[in-house]
Amino acid sequence: MITLTPKDRTTPSMLEQPRSDVTPGMRLVKGGLLAAAAAVALSACAQNAPQDTWKPKGENAQKIQNLQWPVFLVAGIVGLIVFGVVLYCVIRYRDKGQPIPEQTHGKAWLEYLFIAIPAVILVGVAIPTVATVIALNKTGDADCFINVTGQQWWWEYDYPVTADGKICGYAPTVPGALPIVTSGQMVIPADTKVVIRGTSRDVIHSFWVPALNGKRDMVPGRVHTWRFHANEPGIFAGQCAEFCGLSHANMRMEIVALAPADFQAWIDNQLEPYQAPEAGTLAATGEQTFIAQCSRCHQIDGLVDTDGQPVIAAPDQFVWSGAAPNLTNLMTRNTFAGATWDLLTEQCRADVWEATPAEFGAAYLAGVSKQCLNEIDLKEWLRNAPAKKPMFTDPAKLVETDGKTRGMPYLALSEDQINELVAYLLERK
Amino acid sequence: MFTTGSKLLIGSAVAAAAFAAIYGITQEGTLGTIGLVSAAIALALLAGINVFVRDSNVSAMDHGAFESAAAANDSARQSLWPLLVAVGATAVTLGLVTQRAVFILGMAAILVGLLEWVVQAWSERASADAGHNAAARGLMAHPLELPVTAAAGAGVVVYSFSRVMLGLPSKSATVAAFAVAGALILGVGTILGMKPGTSKSTLTGAFSIAAVALVAGGTVAGFTGGRAVEPHHTPATIAEENDCGAEPTEADENGSQSIAAKSNLIAEIAYDGSDLNLDLIGFNGDFESLTVPKSNANNVLFRNESNEPARLVIEMHPALDDNGLPIGPERLCTTLVEEGGVQLLTIKFTRPSRAVPEGYAFTVPGSDAELEVVVP
Repeated sequence: MITLTPKDRTTPSMLEQPRSDVTPGMRLVKGGLLAAAAAVALSACAQNAPQDTWKPKGENAQKIQNLQWPVFLVAGIVGLIVFGVVLYCVIRYRDKGQPIPEQTHGKAWLEYLFIAIPAVILVGVAIPTVATVIALNKTGDADCFINVTGQQWWWEYDYPVTADGKICGYAPTVPGALPIVTSGQMVIPADTKVVIRGTSRDVIHSFWVPALNGKRDMVPGRVHTWRFHANEPGIFAGQCAEFCGLSHANMRMEIVALAPADFQAWIDNQLEPYQAPEAGTLAATGEQTFIAQCSRCHQIDGLVDTDGQPVIAAPDQFVWSGAAPNLTNLMTRNTFAGATWDLLTEQCRADVWEATPAEFGAAYLAGVSKQCLNEIDLKEWLRNAPAKKPMFTDPAKLVETDGKTRGMPYLALSEDQINELVAYLLERK
Repeated sequence: MFTTGSKLLIGSAVAAAAFAAIYGITQEGTLGTIGLVSAAIALALLAGINVFVRDSNVSAMDHGAFESAAAANDSARQSLWPLLVAVGATAVTLGLVTQRAVFILGMAAILVGLLEWVVQAWSERASADAGHNAAARGLMAHPLELPVTAAAGAGVVVYSFSRVMLGLPSKSATVAAFAVAGALILGVGTILGMKPGTSKSTLTGAFSIAAVALVAGGTVAGFTGGRAVEPHHTPATIAEENDCGAEPTEADENGSQSIAAKSNLIAEIAYDGSDLNLDLIGFNGDFESLTVPKSNANNVLFRNESNEPARLVIEMHPALDDNGLPIGPERLCTTLVEEGGVQLLTIKFTRPSRAVPEGYAFTVPGSDAELEVVVP
């Protein structure tokens, strides 16, 4: 039998291993990994982070904040202790050729302690967690109701009318109007409890606006409710949080909270009758181009053809989800294509996003003017949408979807047609 | 390097792989291609084993002994397997211009014929000992022959039995046939169990007669065709036939009066005998109309709180195609829901309300109750 002595266990090769074994390539890799870790850590210091989960702007998000701070604190302390002990053991008891110490087994009081401490911590975390989950699911006290429907890769919002003819508690000046339907930006009254009832037309999506609440899955065939509350006027960015296909990363959303008077103005504006472009203008030509090229999928309420018949979109015949954004008041929104691109130029966008709560309503309700229109992105979109946002539109691959696209296809529009459409859409406010 | 048997098996594996490629390209059928590729893999495995065991022939290690052995001589027996290969080739040719099934059968026949031919030719030349040759053939062929034959036999039995069952004139006859078949199997099993000394030939004869009877019955039933099945009326049928009135229909007899309440609902609609009352799930406000997103399936629960059976109906006003035919159902309805009963109705609108001058509304035939539905 061979018995190892301390001397035997330390081989000469181990002691004599030269440091030069660390090649320049390995140093480069280590340096790169360290730099990447530092970049990830430093990203937490970003100032322009509209989806920061640590900056609640509403009641529900504050509930989450009140929970996650102590939980992260406890988890952080536990993590530091564990890492500290591991590090101490690694350094203090590293192999220096010493003999293996006496091996003992079983210290009942220590094992009980190691069971009791995590149990107490978990119970301490579970109680406020369950209470918060229950509180977040409360939807019976809302004053504003909105249907939210997800599809690849944008969100649709419609505002049901209550029995007293009001929308979100506000009576429109146009009585008997159909519900407002919009997309990209969900406009809500500030300091009001808003409940959304969400579902999906195709695959599972998840509605997440971190500043106002946590995530809620939107599942085809199911209806999930979720409540939002914004403390004060402002604009809050969100992102689909459930992988939903090719352009999941480009499925964004924004919630716009307006002061009561501004929200009333927004509702009234949304329900304004359709205004046809002035005859002989570029926009008037654009109206016909829209009817010819876009109205198969996109609805503009009030639009009529040359025979005076309503132009009704039928996206269910061309799009897999069966829907395309309603463009009736496109230029009252700040974004397009699933809230991925801005309709406003950089400066005009900053004017809205950086407005004080008191000034926000006026800035937002101004909509998109000719001077503020982000023509570059809008024209690129019209020129070749799938090139700008990955979508499932290649005709050669549409057999399994019965020829229907997922997203907006390439329409082969001429530059003249694009200019006409931009002129026409600019008047949709 | 390779023994004679290995060469034959390798050749067969290559042939199967080639057939798989040909079939896959010409027929674009996945099942046949998978089968042929599987055969190629199996043959390749067998070839590998055969290389390892050197044809199970010790003399193969000794080239001199091999050349002087009886196996080196031509086979004295004639084989019938080429006949099956020829039939298979004919079927493949016919299958290319007729039906895929004929092509597949032909390929299977060629594969089986070649395989058996190869194994026979190899085994009969394995050594000078006929007994050893037979054992070698069994070692090589039985791992494939037995499971394939068993599977084919079971398939024939199951298919024949299913044809007989489908061909019987009614469900009661099917039940009776099951009872008779079960009783027969039980009876025969009991008799055989009580008489363990029954000869093998008696058993073989009895099972052969049963098998022939079953196959004959299945063949007759297969040619005669299955019994006529009369479809039952469903809510979809009565909606299609515009029978969503107050009068009872056949579909109402089997209509469900309760649900597990696990389906996800957008709204509950209660009928109290004069009005339809709306409860929007998740919204606590007071609503007189149901707003439903377009192009999305939604479930509503109809609850009959009146004193008589009632049916919930909605006209869907679908768009028309180029031939003027509706794209989708023209109306949807529940069956007659009894007092206190509930039933689900799944609705999906493809046109917004503004495209439908009449608007959408739930109604209950025989009453003035109406509930507006808004599709933005």
